[in-house]
Amino acid sequence: MPDKLLNNEKPAFGRQPGDLSPREQLERIIRVDHAGEFGAVRIYEGQLAVLKETEAADTLQHMKEQEEVHRKKFEELLRDRRVRPTLLSPLWHVAGFALGAGTAMLGKEAAMACTEAVEEVIDEHYRDQLDTLGEDEPELKETISKFRDEEIEHRDTAREEGASQAPGYELLSSAVKAGSKMAIWLSSRI
Amino acid sequence: MSKKQAETEKEWQTRLLDAVLPHVLFDGWSRKAMKAAAADLGEDVSTLDLAFPDGAVDMIRLFIENADDAMEAELQKRDVLSLKIRDRITLAIKVRLELYEPHKEAVRRAVNILALPQNAALALKLTANTVSRMWWATGDSSADYNWYTKRLTLAGVYGATLLYWLADKSEGHHKTWEFLGRRIENVMQIETAKFKCRERLKQKPDFSHMPSAKRFWRNLTER
Repeated sequence: MPDKLLNNEKPAFGRQPGDLSPREQLERIIRVDHAGEFGAVRIYEGQLAVLKETEAADTLQHMKEQEEVHRKKFEELLRDRRVRPTLLSPLWHVAGFALGAGTAMLGKEAAMACTEAVEEVIDEHYRDQLDTLGEDEPELKETISKFRDEEIEHRDTAREEGASQAPGYELLSSAVKAGSKMAIWLSSRI
Repeated sequence: MSKKQAETEKEWQTRLLDAVLPHVLFDGWSRKAMKAAAADLGEDVSTLDLAFPDGAVDMIRLFIENADDAMEAELQKRDVLSLKIRDRITLAIKVRLELYEPHKEAVRRAVNILALPQNAALALKLTANTVSRMWWATGDSSADYNWYTKRLTLAGVYGATLLYWLADKSEGHHKTWEFLGRRIENVMQIETAKFKCRERLKQKPDFSHMPSAKRFWRNLTER
């Protein structure tokens, strides 16, 4: 068996029969990315609502502004490429804010642990998309890889701010990661 | 008439559909119309079977999809984006029905067929597609649940107007355009009501007209 398969990586066989058509693939990518950035803005808004008086506010504000740029870009893409947005946006509107505010109430460290977990999943998710897109859509790929760099930056910032000192770090982190992955799965389809 | 070299599948099917359309007036979207079209073209009917394996349903699907394309091209030609939003949608429906006008009978029969239960899924899909393209062509950029509500609302207006138009025998369909104007007016009323409701919810509730023990006591003691 080649090493690639042993390392649990995707085999590079290219498109197979039964795979999504390029158009469906593109629709899913833009839909889920828009939903993700929409949710991310709501998470930071929720964190800011709780932590706006603390010294973490500036960092959060900066990250939120970056996410807003991302969301706007994907809104434009939805319109230009004629992609249906996710039906679940009202849910992410509430759930994102609740997640942000909820973790922020556990303290600044927990908020940072949440950010770290979310951004880690997003980083992985964007990397997968860059792989699937292959040589097509160079413009979209450029956008995604630029946004991915910024998400990695957020993750590193969160680590520096002491994410790992959060109460119940392991549990919190894995719960948030599982939640984010489920949200990605749902938003790309519904 | 087999497929020519440089032709796409769709162009080929459209060429055959154009031959069928005049017969739909008399024979409906039927096998009889397909046979008559084949005779016109000096072809065997199997060519049409190849192009439209599901017969009527496939022809109707292509007919409507082509109308979608033509509508969008026409809207672009008329510079729809320079208008106000409510006029844009009015124009979109109007352009659509004007494009349908030479084939009114075919449209009526297509609606009949699409209304059958076994075609409900296709009818839903085609309608969703049509209203979606109306919104896209008129420059809609909603990215949340409004995307869905806008399409639902427009499907209602468009569906009602289409049915009214089919039964309308007035000069130049002027009654249909009046009907359309009234329906758009209804939608605007809902939007105004929603806006007012939101404005009112922003204000603090005012309980001054409610009976209050505290106020009663104050009035009693201060006099």
